Amino acid sequence: MERSDGSPRVPRSRFGRWLPVAGLCICVGIVAASSWIVLRKIRELSTANTDNLQWTLSQGDVEFLRFRVGLEQARLSTERLDDLRRRFDIFYSRMMTFGNGRILAPLRARAGFGEHWSQVLGFLASTAPLIDASDEALARALPRLSAAAEEVDANVRALTLLGLSTFAEESDDLRTRVVETLVMMTFVLALLVASLVLFALKYRKLASVADDRAAEVQIKAARKRTIVETSLDAIIVTDFDGRVRSCNTVAARMFGHCAEGLADRDLAELIAPEGEADALRAGPLAFLAAGRDPGEDETRFEITVADNEGRTFPAEVSINRADPGRDPIVVAYLRDISLRKEAEAELRGARDRALAGEKAKAEFLAIASHEMRTPLNGMLGTMELMRDGALDPRQRELLERMQASGGILLDLANDVLDLARLESGKLVAERQPFSVTELVESVLETTEPIAKTTGNEVSWSWTGPPRDHVTGDLRRLRQVLLNFVGNALKFTENGNIRIEAALGRDGGDEVEFSVTDTGIGIDRDDLGRVFNDFETLDSSYARRSEGAGLGLGIAKRLAGLMDGSIGAESAPGQGSRFWIRLPLPAAEGLAEDTRGSVLTARPEGEPLDLLVVEDNELNRFILRGFLERAGHRVTEASDGRSGVALAQTHGFDAILMDVSMPVMDGMEASRAIRRDRGASASAPIIGVTAHALPEETKRFRDSGMTACLGKPVDRSALLAMLETVTAHHNVPSETSSEGGTPPLLDPAILAELADVLQGDDSIVQKLVDDAGRDVSRFVGMDPSDPDLPRIAHRCAGMVGNFGLAALSRSLLDIERICKVGGTPDPAALQALGPLWSESRDALVTHLGLVPRPASNERAPGSAAAKSPPRDEGPISPA
Amino acid sequence: MRHILGHLRNACIALLLAPSVAFANGLPTPTGEVLLAIDGAITVTNDGDRAIFDRDMLAALGPVTVETTTVWTEGVQTFTGVPLARLMAAVGATGDSLTARAINDYAISIPSEDWIEGGPIVAYLNNGAAMPLREKGPLWIVYPYDSEPRFQTEVIFSRSIWQLDRLTVDN
Repeated sequence: MERSDGSPRVPRSRFGRWLPVAGLCICVGIVAASSWIVLRKIRELSTANTDNLQWTLSQGDVEFLRFRVGLEQARLSTERLDDLRRRFDIFYSRMMTFGNGRILAPLRARAGFGEHWSQVLGFLASTAPLIDASDEALARALPRLSAAAEEVDANVRALTLLGLSTFAEESDDLRTRVVETLVMMTFVLALLVASLVLFALKYRKLASVADDRAAEVQIKAARKRTIVETSLDAIIVTDFDGRVRSCNTVAARMFGHCAEGLADRDLAELIAPEGEADALRAGPLAFLAAGRDPGEDETRFEITVADNEGRTFPAEVSINRADPGRDPIVVAYLRDISLRKEAEAELRGARDRALAGEKAKAEFLAIASHEMRTPLNGMLGTMELMRDGALDPRQRELLERMQASGGILLDLANDVLDLARLESGKLVAERQPFSVTELVESVLETTEPIAKTTGNEVSWSWTGPPRDHVTGDLRRLRQVLLNFVGNALKFTENGNIRIEAALGRDGGDEVEFSVTDTGIGIDRDDLGRVFNDFETLDSSYARRSEGAGLGLGIAKRLAGLMDGSIGAESAPGQGSRFWIRLPLPAAEGLAEDTRGSVLTARPEGEPLDLLVVEDNELNRFILRGFLERAGHRVTEASDGRSGVALAQTHGFDAILMDVSMPVMDGMEASRAIRRDRGASASAPIIGVTAHALPEETKRFRDSGMTACLGKPVDRSALLAMLETVTAHHNVPSETSSEGGTPPLLDPAILAELADVLQGDDSIVQKLVDDAGRDVSRFVGMDPSDPDLPRIAHRCAGMVGNFGLAALSRSLLDIERICKVGGTPDPAALQALGPLWSESRDALVTHLGLVPRPASNERAPGSAAAKSPPRDEGPISPA
Repeated sequence: MRHILGHLRNACIALLLAPSVAFANGLPTPTGEVLLAIDGAITVTNDGDRAIFDRDMLAALGPVTVETTTVWTEGVQTFTGVPLARLMAAVGATGDSLTARAINDYAISIPSEDWIEGGPIVAYLNNGAAMPLREKGPLWIVYPYDSEPRFQTEVIFSRSIWQLDRLTVDN
């Protein structure tokens, strides 16, 4: 936000920060170096390498002259000889300074110095002995000394003058150096001043930037203040301990009279209703006491707060900690959401009411349809029965029309019921193995009569590789396909209708079924609407359609239910193509010979002895009609309890059991029949129900029912089902303990056993010993012994391995009864003894190299409960 | 103020040095050739209002030896003599400057600020030998020029009087 002006401030500020520093370093370096040089120069000048040269030089002259004056005075008076000597010594000393002194070295280096100097030295050397001699000798030598002094005077003078000119140059030189130094100093000073000016400018600029920033910050602060103040929400700023620092006017109005009045008050104390501050502190504001940042769910919450007048209202709070280093704060936004809450509650109420209305409507529809179906079924069933009677052609035609209308009405009721069920969301797709070929052929078979009347040819094929055995919801897929084909037939005359099945391209489980017709087609605009509920298109399609317009809507829902998708392609006059794609994984282990039993009725077989338990007299009548026409014997019971009583005393081949019945419902009755071990305890029970949901189906099965049949009962489906259950019943499977009587010995297992044993009968001997021991334990064992099922299971496995089928079955029956909580009949336990003896004998005979024919196998005596006496005639209720 | 302090300091130096010098009970009378006469503001005298010194008396004042170069000679010189401060203490000088005079009547004033330890000495030996008049003797006030740059100024050079024979302590 600070860089909203978009200027590339970052790189510049980096340079801006280092450039002056570098400049400063360079300047300081230059100034320091220059200063050092200047200081050295100044020090050079400050130490004098010269004495007062002019003095020294002129003193040479002066002292020579004083010596010469002394000479002349001494010639006048010998008294002055000592004075002469002192003057000579002083002059001598001065000249020695000329010759040795460091300050006069430049003089000595001058051309011409040596000549004059040697003259002076010569004079000094020749004079000194005379000066040091006695007064008399000195007095005598005075005239000669005068002459010599006169002679050397010019040399002394020359030396002095030479010195003066030398040191005048030296002095000039020195001045030049001083000037140079001063120039350099000036330069350094100029540099210093320049850098100072530079820095002054730089700092002025920085200061102005800082001023600008400060102004900017002030503006922003003012703006933020305005934002905070104009907020509709209460904004409270506290420190990390929850003590109020400041707040906006909304907060002040809400919780106190003025912003100052709130300062330093505890946030929880301030906003919570009377006595709830602690709860607030321990609850949503716990992070304050814990001294940590609020968690994600702690930054926004809704609480009830109280304003300064004690009014409590719901508020939405948004709170977070800001930690800008020195001044950590917590910012809380509070929004009065009482209006929103009211609106929400109102909306929710409205929605609930609407939903309840919808639900009631759907329930009404479902119940109405359901209730409609029962009398409709009655009518249709009655008509079906009438058709079998003697009718004249006119009556037959009328009956057919009635049947057709009744069929449409039933379809309609079924559609509405389906829709209501689908809408209720309670349905789940079933998963059962089936054959695609069977499915599509049954669809063709069903629609064939209509196809004939409209002159249409219906065909089907796989496109690409087939997958015939699949797992899925057969019933619902069938419904969708029937709908597609039905529609196609409605809008096609003398054309072709083609059903195609194809595997999904991605190689997964997906299978596509499409129904293509050569009919009138659908407008592109209408195509998207055909799957809508109650959609009857304002077109020839719609005008020709019959029914409530629910078929495709239901189909679409069914497709969704099966995790599939549905769609259509069409153009007017070009025909239509409806498709459904859904996952249909390949089924495992669906045997070839069990196909067809589901969908196609087998030729009528043996007459069966059947019990129909159904409270509705009409339904009972229909069922009885269907069954008796098929040649079966029917016994009726009008409720569960009487059904159980009949089953107890009479061994039926199968029982048709209505699920919803007064007194005792179908599941209860099934459980009772299985539990009571009566005459029909092992008979297959077919549940007849209108609400065959998969999970319900499971419950039905758990209650002991063998299979379920949907209402309304379709005659062929009923007969097929009967065939199936009785056939299955008679072919014992490994998991099924009910039904048929196994042979004493299973020759297939024994044949395999013989291969394995290779004549070694010690194993057989061991079996005989072990099983004999176990069986002898059963006989006389308490039927409620908890070890019973375990031993029974073990023993059953053991004898089963040796092909003792009847014994194994009896033992498994005992185990099963124990497992479902029952107590085996002591007689059944007793019966194990003789059964074992028979089985053992048979086995020994079989393995004893004297194989006996299969006819020697006989029903075990122990299975007394499984071969109840059969009454010859149907037992009809009064 | 500075004046008083100067006096006080000199008195202190005198007191401090007094027991160490040979002349605790006044100056003796010189027995050899008199090399130096001190007059003016002094409290210790041995010749009327003057204090006069021969070589032995100077040597008895605790001579020191200074090694330094000078601008008037070549090479490093060794000078032995009495520190001016000690000499002034010996004569009980109370002034704040003195005037030194040479045989050739060269005269220069030396302020009392220079009468300090590590300051100038009144040298009577150069390179271990007495200095004749021809070699700037008999006495030469020598500063330790090489020890500090402040001793390398023309003022100091002008105070380095040779062929010294008189000192007058000025009030």
